[in-house]
Amino acid sequence: MHRFLAIFERDLRKFIRNPLVVAMSLLMPIIYLVILGNSFQGELKNLPVAVVDLDSGPYSRKIMELLAAVEAGPATLELVRVADQGFAMEGLRQGVFKAAIVIPGGFSRDVMRRRLSEVGLYLDNAETISAMTIRASVTAALSELRDEFVSIREERGEFRLRDMELYRKIDYDQTLIPGVVIMAIFLGAMTTGAFNMVMDKFLGVEESYFLTPLSKTDIVMGLIASGLLITTVLALVVLFLGSLMSGLFFWGGMTFMTFVLMLAVIVLSTLGLQGLMFMIMGRINHPRIVGVLGGFLNVILFFPSGAIYPIESFPGWLKAFAAVNPETYSVHAMRALLFKGAGLQAVQGDLVFLAVFAVFSVLFGMLAFKRAL
Amino acid sequence: MGNVKAIETVDLVKRYGTLTALGGVSLEVPEGEFFGLLGPNGAGKTTLIRILTTLLNPTSGTARVMGLDVVKESSNVRGLIGVVPQAMTSDLDLTGYETMDIYARFYGMHRAERRARIDELLDMVGLRDRAGDLVATYSGGMRRRLEIARGLVHKPSLLILDEPTIGLDPQSRHVVWELLERFRKADRLTILLTTHYMEEAESLCDRVAIIDYGKIVALDTVPGLKKAIPQKDSIELGVAGVDMDRAVEWVKKLPGVTSASFAESTLTVFSEHGAEAIPALMEGLRGIGGRVTKVTLKELSLEDVFIHYTGRPIREEEAKKVSFLLGAGVPSKWGK
Repeated sequence: MHRFLAIFERDLRKFIRNPLVVAMSLLMPIIYLVILGNSFQGELKNLPVAVVDLDSGPYSRKIMELLAAVEAGPATLELVRVADQGFAMEGLRQGVFKAAIVIPGGFSRDVMRRRLSEVGLYLDNAETISAMTIRASVTAALSELRDEFVSIREERGEFRLRDMELYRKIDYDQTLIPGVVIMAIFLGAMTTGAFNMVMDKFLGVEESYFLTPLSKTDIVMGLIASGLLITTVLALVVLFLGSLMSGLFFWGGMTFMTFVLMLAVIVLSTLGLQGLMFMIMGRINHPRIVGVLGGFLNVILFFPSGAIYPIESFPGWLKAFAAVNPETYSVHAMRALLFKGAGLQAVQGDLVFLAVFAVFSVLFGMLAFKRAL
Repeated sequence: MGNVKAIETVDLVKRYGTLTALGGVSLEVPEGEFFGLLGPNGAGKTTLIRILTTLLNPTSGTARVMGLDVVKESSNVRGLIGVVPQAMTSDLDLTGYETMDIYARFYGMHRAERRARIDELLDMVGLRDRAGDLVATYSGGMRRRLEIARGLVHKPSLLILDEPTIGLDPQSRHVVWELLERFRKADRLTILLTTHYMEEAESLCDRVAIIDYGKIVALDTVPGLKKAIPQKDSIELGVAGVDMDRAVEWVKKLPGVTSASFAESTLTVFSEHGAEAIPALMEGLRGIGGRVTKVTLKELSLEDVFIHYTGRPIREEEAKKVSFLLGAGVPSKWGK
């Protein structure tokens, strides 16, 4: 007990002597929240679209009004009125515009004569996501115009699709919080525990431990315990700061039981990742390799976890990976606890997976570590 | 316990593949002795130390420390030895006191016991005033002193030092020597030391073993080792006013002189005890009408003994293997 606690205390002392590491461990997940929240936005906005009106009749003015309404309302489009079609096409090719809408000459006349009348929509389909959004937005806007072609106007009840959201209003930024917390846990597990062991090896400090009666279990458990404490505290601070920043004041509506479950998810996720790091880094003796592995591991664990994009839309092989990725279960459980106010029943499956993963990863991590130079 | 040997190895062999690092080392070090291990780079000193400190298992043969087998009772052996490894191994992010305290806890020492022992040791190595400073702020000599103190924190029976003064300035080196003498007297300690510095072994060690190519090639006290090799002390005398042939003939008859020769006006005399022979030589030469203009005494040093056994050529050490794919940062096994 004495011995393992000595390693534990050593790591805590070393950690607080590196305020830069402390600051970066807190700042990085928060920066991720800010960058992800503002770059991968839920809905696209301000897509530049060139509009060429070669008609200038009553119906083309009507189209312009409908498009302007989209610009003023959801702001999906940013309209640029262009006189010359060639100029619009050139701008589209150069990427100045994401789309060009061309209203041909004689459009109003054709509409009035009930002839086939078409508006040209040119899309930059090299950018799939913005092209899809513009098509949907323009089609919806112009559907109102189509109603007017109907010669006999019927009185119809207004038909509108109204979204029903199951849970209280959640901003996109807020939906990222489980992902940000799991990232804080990952970074914590990456820079404590097994990493301290790699540094000890690299600096030759390890030899002086092997010369004492410290056992392999003392060393690994001491490193994991200190890493667990540090990472759990970091994750809680990141959860709190992230919530403050995105306006998700979870503590308002959270019961004590839910908070305990949240803590359990964080602790088990941390333990699992600490063990995983020992499995991977157990035989590594240079921090350079940890640096290379770190970025790689973060990508393969974080993005398939469902923190950003729903797992259901993944291809089969990635879905299979997500099913064994511990971060998937952490994100799922945290989402349920934070947004749905769920109880034990909703997250017990996640907790069981995380607990089993933690036991096995620590066990194998211990096997990977060699008490020898 | 009087007849328990501090160190006892029997035919100790360590092989790495085809490379033999130790080729059958048998050694006995009684309790309380200051024992020196000398040898060129790659001779097997560190391998022997690592076997004795339980970091490596021997390929064959046995090694006992304080009567305990280093393989079968490795954990108990670790409790009885204090080790100062060759590389600096103290943690830079801890203070001197914390280094000692955390280390003492590895041995299960209690708080009060720890505090008293650490204060005593830090006082002895002259680091009490700096105990609260980070090790990162220490000089090389201070760090080495701290590591010696750390090796003694649990009152070991055997202290093992692997080239403790390597890379230190002469002042720090002398401080380390004084410390080792003092600790030895204070704790009735057995000390095993490896070194490259002949004067270190000569001034500190009761007995010295010279190890080369994984085998002990000589083992005795320093005077004993000197006596065993054919070289002797040499005396060079500048002589004038006498026939040199006659002088050589005459000098050879003096007791203790093993041989003599001359070149121009310089007479070279080899003797078992050079310093003792000088007055007789001076008197004798004056007696036959000669005039001594210059005397130079070259006493046989441990270095002469060392070179006698290990030869002059610089050793080609085996180059370290580095992974082609990953550079210097992979487990050494992958690199080989």
